Amino acid sequence: MFQNTKCECGHQNPAGTVLCEACGRSLDEGGAAEELLEMRYDGAARRSQKSHPSVLDRIWNFFSSVKIAVYMIVITLIGASLGTIYPQENTFLTTQDLGDYYRDTYGLSGEIYYALGLSHTFESWWFVSLLVLIGTSLVVCSLDRVLPLYRALNKQQIRKHESFLLRQRAAYRGDIEGDPEAWTDRFEQAARKRRYKVIRKDGALLAEKHRFSRWGPYINHIGLIVFLLAVLARAVPAWQMDQYVTIPEGDTVRIEDTNYFVKNEKFTVEFYGDEELPAELKGTLRAKLYRTDAVLYECRSGCTAASGQPELVEVARHPIEVNSPLEYDGLKLYQFDFDNKAVLREVKPVVIDKATGETYGPFTLKMRDPETTFEVGPYRLELKQNFMEFAIGEDGNPITKSRDPKAPAFIFMVYGPGLDEKGEPYIYFPMQKDKAAFSQDKLNAAIADRLEIKVNGMENVSFVEYTTFLNVRKDLAMPYIWVGLGISMLGLVMGAYWHHRRIWLRVDGSRATIGAHTNKNWYGMRADLAAALKAAGNETDPKSLDNGGNRT
Amino acid sequence: MNWLDLSSSAFIAAFFLYCFGFLFYVMAIAGRKWSHGDPAGHERKWGRIAFIVSALGLAAQLTFFFTRWIGQGHIPVSNMYEFMTFLGMAVMLAFVIIFLIYRKPILGMFALPLVIIIIAYASVFPQESQPLIPALNSYWLKIHVTTAALGEAFLAVGFAAGLLHLLRTVDYASKEKSARRERFWVEVTMFMLIVAVGFIISVFSFRMAGYEAEFRQETADVTQAGEAVSNVETVRYTMPPIVQPFNSELLHADAFLGVDEPLLEAPSWMNGINAGRKLNTVVWSLLTGAILYGLLRLAFRKQLGAVIHPMTTDIDPDDLDEISYRAIAIGFPIFTLGALIFAMIWAQIAWSRFWGWDPKEVWALITWLFYSAYLHLRLSRGWHGKRSSWLTVIGFVIIMFTLIGVNLVIAGLHSYAGV
Amino acid sequence: MKGAARKPVQILIFLGVLLLGGYAIGKTLFASKDGLPMPGDKPPEFTLSTLDGRTVSLSDYEGKPVVLNFWGSFCPPCVKEMPEFQRQYDKWKSEGLEVLAVNLSEDNLTVRNFVAGKNLTYPILRDVDKETERRYRLRSYPTTFFIRPDGKLEEVYQGGMTEQDIEERVLKLIEES
Repeated sequence: MFQNTKCECGHQNPAGTVLCEACGRSLDEGGAAEELLEMRYDGAARRSQKSHPSVLDRIWNFFSSVKIAVYMIVITLIGASLGTIYPQENTFLTTQDLGDYYRDTYGLSGEIYYALGLSHTFESWWFVSLLVLIGTSLVVCSLDRVLPLYRALNKQQIRKHESFLLRQRAAYRGDIEGDPEAWTDRFEQAARKRRYKVIRKDGALLAEKHRFSRWGPYINHIGLIVFLLAVLARAVPAWQMDQYVTIPEGDTVRIEDTNYFVKNEKFTVEFYGDEELPAELKGTLRAKLYRTDAVLYECRSGCTAASGQPELVEVARHPIEVNSPLEYDGLKLYQFDFDNKAVLREVKPVVIDKATGETYGPFTLKMRDPETTFEVGPYRLELKQNFMEFAIGEDGNPITKSRDPKAPAFIFMVYGPGLDEKGEPYIYFPMQKDKAAFSQDKLNAAIADRLEIKVNGMENVSFVEYTTFLNVRKDLAMPYIWVGLGISMLGLVMGAYWHHRRIWLRVDGSRATIGAHTNKNWYGMRADLAAALKAAGNETDPKSLDNGGNRT
Repeated sequence: MNWLDLSSSAFIAAFFLYCFGFLFYVMAIAGRKWSHGDPAGHERKWGRIAFIVSALGLAAQLTFFFTRWIGQGHIPVSNMYEFMTFLGMAVMLAFVIIFLIYRKPILGMFALPLVIIIIAYASVFPQESQPLIPALNSYWLKIHVTTAALGEAFLAVGFAAGLLHLLRTVDYASKEKSARRERFWVEVTMFMLIVAVGFIISVFSFRMAGYEAEFRQETADVTQAGEAVSNVETVRYTMPPIVQPFNSELLHADAFLGVDEPLLEAPSWMNGINAGRKLNTVVWSLLTGAILYGLLRLAFRKQLGAVIHPMTTDIDPDDLDEISYRAIAIGFPIFTLGALIFAMIWAQIAWSRFWGWDPKEVWALITWLFYSAYLHLRLSRGWHGKRSSWLTVIGFVIIMFTLIGVNLVIAGLHSYAGV
Repeated sequence: MKGAARKPVQILIFLGVLLLGGYAIGKTLFASKDGLPMPGDKPPEFTLSTLDGRTVSLSDYEGKPVVLNFWGSFCPPCVKEMPEFQRQYDKWKSEGLEVLAVNLSEDNLTVRNFVAGKNLTYPILRDVDKETERRYRLRSYPTTFFIRPDGKLEEVYQGGMTEQDIEERVLKLIEES
């Protein structure tokens, strides 16, 4: 469509201009004369508006459209809501096949949900594509508008066309009594009092304030772009780590793929006492605190699994609680969960000579990687075999059912007074329940009458009471995330809590014509204008300044 | 008298002051007719009284809030009761701010019932102060929840003004199809508000009657280790069971109108905490709301919108549109800060990730996206006035779903126990 | 920035979008499933000590067909298949076949007793604190990885294997070398 873009005042405007860049006259020939003006971007042409767009321009225009942006936002919010119908896959720590889970738990709809990939909506290609489209739109929209707007606001004409003034949403036309100069002076003073910046030229006046608030939306968009880029940067593997470590109390565990080791020195869980609980919660266990007293070590040498004892240097120490992670050099350790299944760690049994009643020992028997030779009084014990969870296999031989010390058993060869010179075998169950269940004495038969290995009292048994689960995180992109959000917030506040207000006045003889414009809060705009008019001598009801209509 | 007792008394005082404030606002607006020829003076006088009473209500509720804070040692925003009362207080605060800018008493006629409903809704939940679990024990709890609620409160005031704008502008004389459709949807909105009242009425009536029914429910669950386990638990109803929990059997039920058996079973996909009981509550609320609505219709013999519409004619619709837009423009940054940014900061500290696509988080994002779409649409021609008021209504529905619905139908980190 | 600078700016921005957006979307399409290594993948590298005190890495065996087996004495099908691997090892050793049996972080004595009892001659590697096992994302025991001479995975087999099962796959590996 051909459009004449040359204004009556002689200024040549770029294609797409709505209001003449110089005098403000409407270039839209078809628009009814009494209709309000379209003041978006001050009527300047967006960069994308061109008379002969190329393919590139067409794509550009697509992303530059606010309408398209709104569509993308709406599609994204509908898509996101789909993702909340059933729990997402990432809420399960398990790696097993989840298809069955969705079918079994939610029936047919769950099966469809899984099949459509909605069970990982937020990682799906289409959802990420939507975010990419929104990101693109943010860049293009902002760039397309901010530069023309900047130019338009930077080279404003003071004297505007009358039609421009009267077609503003707040407008006034009235006669001046007395000297127009003095009237304008009073008007200017009142405007300055309300912190307007005032420029006067050839019997015309422009009062303007809070122009910076126009940049708010763009600053907000820049912040969002920074945020989205930072989110994208989190995908860089070297910037990101997310894993879980399981540490029984007292143990030191390596953090996979790093040179760090963590020790769980002590795990504490506290519950609220009855006196702290309201009546209906009395007697229930309500957790007050979980804490892992953790020590972080850096490994200096011998760090791989192959090389035996690592050399560790303490680098950080922190009581990790739910809202208080351990932080060291970009690495963060969070309290994730705990387990209070007691696991046997070591026992200190004694050897009893049944003939004399004499007791020897105690000696320390670790459940994992025990020593193999013990000298206890006159006896020598050689550990021949150990079982973590003792059981009798199908072929009648002893086996272990797992690798955790749930029902440990030890077979010693015992040498000493009153025993065969070649040694005699002795099977020992540290836990009383196993001793009875597998009838230790019967298995030991002959030797059981002469010798006994047993633990005297619970103080000689040591358990791992708690196992803590820590979440180990590294996220080097986080500072950029916060910076992006901060910028975005700054833009929002600028744009929402300050409003760009302008009042144009032109005096022709004894007639004043005034137009005023703001992007938000017309109520305040009219109040400002009415106050200035009142000071100048033309008292008006603010409401009467309203040109009516539901426009910008 | 200790702090917590003082706090409860202040709460009751606040509730009644709000109710009186509302009545005075109705008097100010609806009473102009019988004002002996000086409607403006009448509105000014009663509007001032109404505002003072409401402001006293706010003061009483602030007393409630701070004495409870002192009494229990942590900020009272950690369970549904405390959060909803806080939200009510925030809406009140937002209303006062907007009122001080625009000075339109009619806004009070809409904001106060909203506050009253929210606070009454809060009272449905267990009111005992509870000690904090470790995950909530952070000063970010205060910052995140209060800011988010304040943002939502402004958005709610935007809704109140938007609804008022609709009641003002919808044509109650026209027989045209579009006008009929608009009247219908305004009526639906009014009906939903009455259902909220119905909910409160049904809960309190059955609570006073001491009604009780019990079910044994078997639920399947998957542990974090990936094992499937089934739990058997007893579900207690405080309202006659129209809907029983999924996969459950009746243990006992008091008879209500001679019926002592449930009529229906909840579908399996409702998997929040106590979904069956909550669905039952929803059914009861709808029933009570429908009866209440029916009674009102019988009393007035016209649509409720048509009852209110004449009271609104004195106000300029453009002003209402602007108030609504302004409230949302004020609320949006606060909401962004509280419900998204502070939430992310806290999540980063407590759960080691700033964003986890938890249903509550997603719905906060949906709310944010919706209102950002609203703000962009305000830039376009043709999206002011009625259309934008409809958007504020939809926005309010989304907010309420985020605050309450998510906990009702979807399980997640933010689930509170509830009726 | 108008006129001449405009087109380059447009192109620059679209290239950026294509690059970054493509990367983001691509990641969702080719996301690692967080599960077992798949055929065609290069299995994760490890360095472990053997029972007789040597240190071996998976990469030491590049160029040879490798059978990588994860086992524990507590897992009956593992116990059952160990001698089958021994027979296959004896049979195809001359063709370059390597068998690496990674023990599932059991303690020293247990492993020694077990290996001595079964007369196993292929290298027994000692995992520590389930590190290697986790890196391979094992879900069940035993799991056996058949690795081609080019270092890529031919097949992953979960569960116990008979000698015949093993031989079929070993022959395939040897053919490729």
